[in-house]
Amino acid sequence: MLKQILNKFLILNDVQAAIVIQENGEIIQSMKSGIMIKEELQKVMATIMLDSKKTAAQFGNASLSMVFVEFSDHFLILGPVMEEFYLVVIAKNTANIGQITYEMKKNQDAIVSLL
Amino acid sequence: MIDQLPEGKSIGWMQAPPQWIFTHTVRFVGVVRIVIQDGEGFILIKKGKPLVYYFKHGRIELRGNAALDYFNSHPIIEFNLCKYTPEEFSQALKICNVDEIIPESTGRQDQIAPVVPQEKGEEKTVEVQPGIKQPEQEPNPEQPEKPEPLTEEMVREKTLADDTERPLVPQPAVLEDPDIKIIGQIKKLNGIVAISVFDDDRNILLMGDVEIEPLLKVARTMLATANKITPHLDWGSFVHMTLQIPEGNVIVAPYHENHLCILTTRTINIGHIRRILRDLQQDRTQNILL
Repeated sequence: MLKQILNKFLILNDVQAAIVIQENGEIIQSMKSGIMIKEELQKVMATIMLDSKKTAAQFGNASLSMVFVEFSDHFLILGPVMEEFYLVVIAKNTANIGQITYEMKKNQDAIVSLL
Repeated sequence: MIDQLPEGKSIGWMQAPPQWIFTHTVRFVGVVRIVIQDGEGFILIKKGKPLVYYFKHGRIELRGNAALDYFNSHPIIEFNLCKYTPEEFSQALKICNVDEIIPESTGRQDQIAPVVPQEKGEEKTVEVQPGIKQPEQEPNPEQPEKPEPLTEEMVREKTLADDTERPLVPQPAVLEDPDIKIIGQIKKLNGIVAISVFDDDRNILLMGDVEIEPLLKVARTMLATANKITPHLDWGSFVHMTLQIPEGNVIVAPYHENHLCILTTRTINIGHIRRILRDLQQDRTQNILL
């Protein structure tokens, strides 16, 4: 069921991976296309999650809504789903970020219900 | 006097060390309007050459090097660069009573006048400007070291000050005019609260009304995260990192050899900002290749 939801991201143009991941880097479920999720990438995602949570807390204990890290070829969007669970979408830089964030918000409750 | 000056075309409000003004106005003709606490003042500049320094707080009025010293006594000041047309500039010169022939030296080699008691009220005018017709006076030593409250005592002290040995804190010229324009244009976009250019040591330029240190702390933390992950990803060069919290977004991005930090409202069009940041980086890459 979670795979079906993640697949909604994968059908968007130039999206390469949709992942539900824990703060410690453990992958709960993922759907990918044309990308390998190696241990190194898991560590990167864990770093972003933990660092960003701490950084957001510097704003008077603000909660983290979303993190967006862009490189010249790819970008990564990470949004908290519940507690230590996050949804991560990796895409080529030609992907439509508005569409991705819309789908992330739209499917958040459905993902929570499956965790 | 401030109110009489032509308005000019505002480039934008900034926060930077006073010396930044002198190193970044080589092609600028106009007035730099300065606000410090409840007082306001200005520096009239013609292509990097400061012609008039002026500051007024309540009934206390500082001119020339007294005003310059007061500006320099603050590590960071808030100011608005306003460009003048030749006509506006001529008008400003007349208002400031500056001679048409301006001495080649900058204000730092000014002559200092003794306190000139004003006939009306209790206002005190301390120093003369280059090119302004004023009586001669004696130089004295004085070095501002930390921000000072503007008091009448300070005005009196400054009359004893020598400005022949006034040291200038060297500030690296890190931003060019086009950079300031670009930063100003980004600041003017809807939803941009503040924009800062910073390096590893300090804030170089800030446009917007925010406390810079807490913002830079967050920006540096984000940058550290980006630096940690970049070597482990084969995704090209780092373009930006955006942190979204309920109050808004914080964006960090490389900018030449420095970094940008942008604080936005939640309603900002991230796509627009993203395009700008990508364009900036493309320009940078092209410059490196050239």
